[in-house]
Amino acid sequence: MDVALSKNGARLLRVFFTLVVVFLYAPIAILLIFSFNKSAVPTFPLSGFTLHWYREFLGNSEIKAALETSAIIAAVSSAGAVVLGVLASMALTRRFFRGKAAVSALLLSPLVIPYVVFGISLLLLFHTLGVPRSLLTVVIGHIVISLPYTILVLVPRLDQIDVSLDEAAFDLGASRLRTFRSITLPLILPAVVSAFLIAFTTSFDEYAVASFVVGTRVTFPIYLYSALRFPSQLPQVIAVAVVVLILSLAVVVAAEVGRRIAERRFASLEID
Amino acid sequence: MAIADAGSSPGHIPRRRRLRVDLTTPTLLGLPLAWLAVFFLVPIGIVAAYSFDVYSLDPGPHSFTLTAWRDFLHSSVYLRLFWKSVRMSLTVSAIVVVLAYPLAYYLALSGTKRKYILLLLLIAPFLTSYLLRVLAWKVILGNQGVVNTFLFWTGLRSPDHPLSQLLYSRFAVMLVLGYIWLPFVALPIFVSLESLDRRLLEAASDLGASRLQAFRRVTLPLSLPGVVAAFLFVFIPTLGEFVTPSLVGGANGYMYGNQIVDLFGTGFPDWETGSVLAIFLLGVVAVLTVVFARFLQPRQVAAD
Repeated sequence: MDVALSKNGARLLRVFFTLVVVFLYAPIAILLIFSFNKSAVPTFPLSGFTLHWYREFLGNSEIKAALETSAIIAAVSSAGAVVLGVLASMALTRRFFRGKAAVSALLLSPLVIPYVVFGISLLLLFHTLGVPRSLLTVVIGHIVISLPYTILVLVPRLDQIDVSLDEAAFDLGASRLRTFRSITLPLILPAVVSAFLIAFTTSFDEYAVASFVVGTRVTFPIYLYSALRFPSQLPQVIAVAVVVLILSLAVVVAAEVGRRIAERRFASLEID
Repeated sequence: MAIADAGSSPGHIPRRRRLRVDLTTPTLLGLPLAWLAVFFLVPIGIVAAYSFDVYSLDPGPHSFTLTAWRDFLHSSVYLRLFWKSVRMSLTVSAIVVVLAYPLAYYLALSGTKRKYILLLLLIAPFLTSYLLRVLAWKVILGNQGVVNTFLFWTGLRSPDHPLSQLLYSRFAVMLVLGYIWLPFVALPIFVSLESLDRRLLEAASDLGASRLQAFRRVTLPLSLPGVVAAFLFVFIPTLGEFVTPSLVGGANGYMYGNQIVDLFGTGFPDWETGSVLAIFLLGVVAVLTVVFARFLQPRQVAAD
């Protein structure tokens, strides 16, 4: 007898699981369907298949500019967050120092701060310093938000790696920097890549903080938010939404699969 | 990079050779901590100073005062709005956790071979755009939205009387927030159930416990940390939520976070009161985080 679940119990849970997955994907599927629908408003009954909205959005310079702005901000801020994240994670896993618990709590605290509070805090800071709002101010905010995510990905990976590999390199005369470059970094590279991707998607999608510190060049989420108020653009927005959704799903799945493959390969190389 | 090796502690493994000193603890931690100090702690400090009128961007004399705080604590408007947001977030969190538990239970304990693929399937929507998922619900729930036009089309409802309370209501806010957070909540519960020693269940069964008894006395208590973590993972971010309510909430779904935004907005800005509201929210979240810190261990979340 299975003590956790009876046969019927398992069957029931499988049905429930399927229903929830349907509930989770149905709205996304609905967006997909209406992005190919002829009518300018997303209503039933469907009025025929068209690629019009996709062509329209490809010709919409505002949407393309917003996507480009978001891509730049996401690339720069995730690179920054990963660099800071690697430094912090190395300290947390490889060094002994007083107040480590407090330091790690501080490093992770942006995870729990309400974004509305963080957004107005940054706004007041930039006002105080007289810094005009721009791409840079958004990048600064996004690095703070993404930093804890990179640490959450990097620390477990660093913990898995045998410290004696580092020590062997030391003993053979490598500096710490050299050890990091030739030993540690290659071993954590899969985690660094997935940290980068998580930071990238976090930034690319971030609306709340950006809405307070964004300048005249709007990001994609800011554009989306304002477009949601003008129904005339809705079908185009839905089309671009579908493209972004599918791309981000693909990136997420690819990152996860890639990380597993890479870690399995590295695991066979490691000495235990 | 040649900074004195001040950070290495005496407890470290003794080294045979004097190492060239780079990547010391201060080198490693300096940049991340400085970044958070300047762009995270100082800004919050400014808001706190603003709330006591120690600091203001308005010209004129300023001195420490509790006026804004006193007004806030005596104002029924802001506090009532806060409690309304607490109730909404509590409801969403409770419903979402109750729904997510069986999902996690199925993945962790049914013995399905594809559990990680199914877990990814469950979580993937969470990793896609937040605003786009809200947009989807706007398309679905509106007066001319998918649900209503479907009802008109099938004749279940006349076009003159759409189900108008679907969108721009408290219900819409809670539905969308639940939809957004549901995939994510299953994760901590899954982790706690996955690490459960199944021999405990076998022992319970050998000692004559029924499945329900084993669940109530063994599985549920042991997975409780995951449940608490899951609950907080929803409750903390939804409490300060303002994006979803501003898109699908209308007047009824207006939350505390919206009030903060409006106090810093272009209409009738009152940055001092806004700062009080912000610091109060931050304080509540900080207390929750500290009280439940042991349930919020990052390792538990990061583990897969």
